[in-house]
Amino acid sequence: MFELNGTPTTVPAHLRDATLLDFIREIAGLTGTKYGCGQGLCGACTVHIDGDAARACQTRISDVDGRKVTTIEGLAATTADAGLHPVQQAWITASVPQCGYCQPGQIMAAAALLKANPDPSDDDIRDGMAGNICRCGTYPRIRQAIKIAAGKG
Amino acid sequence: MNQQPNSTLNRRAFLVRTGWLAAGTTVLTGCSSIIPALPSTKDPVAEDGLAWIQIMPDGRVRFYCPRMEMGQGAPLGLTQIVAEELNVGQEAIDCITPATDQVPPFKMTVGSEGVSQFAEPLARASAQLREALRARAAGKLGVPPAKVADATGGFAGPDGSVLAYGTIAGQSGFSILEADMSAKPKPADRHHTVGQRWRHPDLQAIVTGQMTYSRDIVVEGMAYGDVLRPPAFGAELLRADADKARAMEGVVAVVIDEGDNFVGIVTENPFILDAALHAIQADWSRPAAADPVQTLDADKPWDEDDFEHEILSDGSIQAGRDEATDHLSHRYDTPFAAHAAMEPRAAIAKVSGGKAEIWCGSQDPYFVRGRVCRVVGLDEDDVVVHPHRMGGGFGGRVPCQASEEAARLSAAVGRPVRVQWDRETEFRHNYFQPAFSHRIAAGIDGSGRIRYWDHGFVSSPIIFGLVPKPLSYILDLFVADEGTARGATLPYAPPSRRVRYSDVRTQVPTGSWRGLGAAPNTFAIESMVDELAAEARMDPLAFRLQNLPKDQGRLAAVLQTVARDADWGRPQPASIGMGIAGAIYKGETYAAIVAKVSVDRAAETIRVNHVWCAQDCGRVVNPDQVESQIAGNIAWGCSMALKEQVPFDGGQLDVSNFDGYDVLRHDDAPNISITLIDPAKAAPSGVGESAFGPVAAAIANAVFAATGHRFRKLPITYDDIVPATAS
Repeated sequence: MFELNGTPTTVPAHLRDATLLDFIREIAGLTGTKYGCGQGLCGACTVHIDGDAARACQTRISDVDGRKVTTIEGLAATTADAGLHPVQQAWITASVPQCGYCQPGQIMAAAALLKANPDPSDDDIRDGMAGNICRCGTYPRIRQAIKIAAGKG
Repeated sequence: MNQQPNSTLNRRAFLVRTGWLAAGTTVLTGCSSIIPALPSTKDPVAEDGLAWIQIMPDGRVRFYCPRMEMGQGAPLGLTQIVAEELNVGQEAIDCITPATDQVPPFKMTVGSEGVSQFAEPLARASAQLREALRARAAGKLGVPPAKVADATGGFAGPDGSVLAYGTIAGQSGFSILEADMSAKPKPADRHHTVGQRWRHPDLQAIVTGQMTYSRDIVVEGMAYGDVLRPPAFGAELLRADADKARAMEGVVAVVIDEGDNFVGIVTENPFILDAALHAIQADWSRPAAADPVQTLDADKPWDEDDFEHEILSDGSIQAGRDEATDHLSHRYDTPFAAHAAMEPRAAIAKVSGGKAEIWCGSQDPYFVRGRVCRVVGLDEDDVVVHPHRMGGGFGGRVPCQASEEAARLSAAVGRPVRVQWDRETEFRHNYFQPAFSHRIAAGIDGSGRIRYWDHGFVSSPIIFGLVPKPLSYILDLFVADEGTARGATLPYAPPSRRVRYSDVRTQVPTGSWRGLGAAPNTFAIESMVDELAAEARMDPLAFRLQNLPKDQGRLAAVLQTVARDADWGRPQPASIGMGIAGAIYKGETYAAIVAKVSVDRAAETIRVNHVWCAQDCGRVVNPDQVESQIAGNIAWGCSMALKEQVPFDGGQLDVSNFDGYDVLRHDDAPNISITLIDPAKAAPSGVGESAFGPVAAAIANAVFAATGHRFRKLPITYDDIVPATAS
């Protein structure tokens, strides 16, 4: 049993060895969290576990027993305001996405980064986001969007 | 001067005869198992555009976009073109990716052609639809069409009353399928939509995780398939024992075709798929293979004076040698490269009752349709492909092999089957950018003018890289691959110049990768030009401008603009260098790059701090999208310069994931500055690959400026720099 975007979720016994990524995509039907590499190398599957960024492809479903998992679909609901999370809004303002496939993971990583460091420097962003690959090369706009979300855009 | 390969006429005749040039049109109908499925290569004309636009009964414009979205944003630019001619705002037009049965076949989405090739036909078709609507409105109002004025979302009559498109179209909607195509698009000075920064309509879905990529699709009743693929180039299936797999609970079927190297499995749920697949014992042959990088060695044909194709020959190289006072001859090499798009490909196939449906992402859905037809033995009319937004393309997704695998498995089990490639499969079972090996000999006179330029290079076929045997044997006898040669003719005009190449196949499958030959060829050219500038003891910018002919004013302008933006010429501290490079993409887009590089000896790193770009791509339809594409081009250039290289071991791939194939990440991504020169009179030209070419050369030139060490082989690494600068 764990909490998935605020909903108590029961894991069938035979799936306890499945990855969190497979569970949320195949069983919960939440496909915003993406498979990119399956080895924790690209960040496309980034989710929050108890508020911290984690790689869903490297997390067994049994490891989140009793914990709170937030995916891109549940991110907006973690803020008090109606509508989008400030990071999602900043992504639209800065027109970040190209293909868009890595962006849910980038947004989840950025939201966790800003929670830990509300006023990141360029180098803080570069280092903090280095685990998330964007093959389209939206890195400069991601930096811009993170600054917008931090209120410095 | 001959800018085309010598064999152009022969090639065209041959390709027309074999159906290659007419692929996806009318030459091939039905399904032939003899002629392979061919990519869709017919250029669009204005009449084609009539099938792409409709007025719906509610007055909205429906635009069946003939470009596949993979992040390049061309569908948005084309939406603006349609909206411009039909006088509607973004809220009144729906851009839809058509299934293959919704519109006639259109050209594959490649070559930065989305706006450059489709804007004009689409503008003409949209104008034609607008005028047909105007005529209808005039009939309703009982006035001549000339008295019916444009209005937002409709027309205004002489009395000022507005007639909306929905009213004009009526309950059945409105479209035209045949017309004389005499209507004229608006002149640029009347544009109100073209040139605006419209936001992509998919942004909201992307940032909330609602965007549907092919991996995200669910089809009712689907099962889960995967395939054991050959472990090495040329490996043949010797034997497969699936008894253990067949006995596993949840296994629906095992499909083995030893003659076709096919071993596939279908399971009831995705969680047992991997274990079931690997319960199959398969033995494969292990053919010996030479190192493909060593095979592609420019010095072999150079020393033997025996290149297959000559694409440029002016003056006499010997005469140029006699006139020059300083001579240089250098090798430049770039490695094999992978696309590494973030979304590994996937497909769902539903084959039953003599029909097939495919859900996938591909740069050429009609090619996918043709290939699936051959796999399952159906006619093209019985197969529908539903294409989805791709998580990156970069030339690597013209076919969608997962579609064919899924179709085969679906046909075997009689229900929908999903096949998703994992990262290892994506790295190992697609095609690659070939390595390039160049030799350039050039010389200058005492005033820093290039007197001769003799360039020979070796790489593999790209445009024809995927042509299957035995057609490839015939093709290779006389076809010069223009993709391999893209960007290989220098923009400078020394009195004597010659460019030759050989396109040689290795065991590594090769095909289109962002820009095709443009980036490797520009790296070689703009590195050598920089070396000549140093030899002449001239500023690299001044040297380039001096050697550009007068008719290359647009290239000179972007070089001067980027130099101004980057404050070129300002003295830099030790260990910081600036490098410049420029190129013309496909003869239409002019891009210049300045890179600022710092070498940190304590941290043992080379860092690209800043990249400036000035680009002239004609009229800019959407500056936001163009700047986004340039940012991507710069990232790819940095990645090519500093990171990417497909490793081989014993002639076989030695890579399975991002730990074996480095790509640019946030921590190495430079700041960027972009200036667009927007000449309103020039038609829009390609932007998806245009700024990529000069980036690696600008970085290598900057490293030289910072350290005195010249990198002639990519990728550039700090470890390689140390011996040269320590000595």
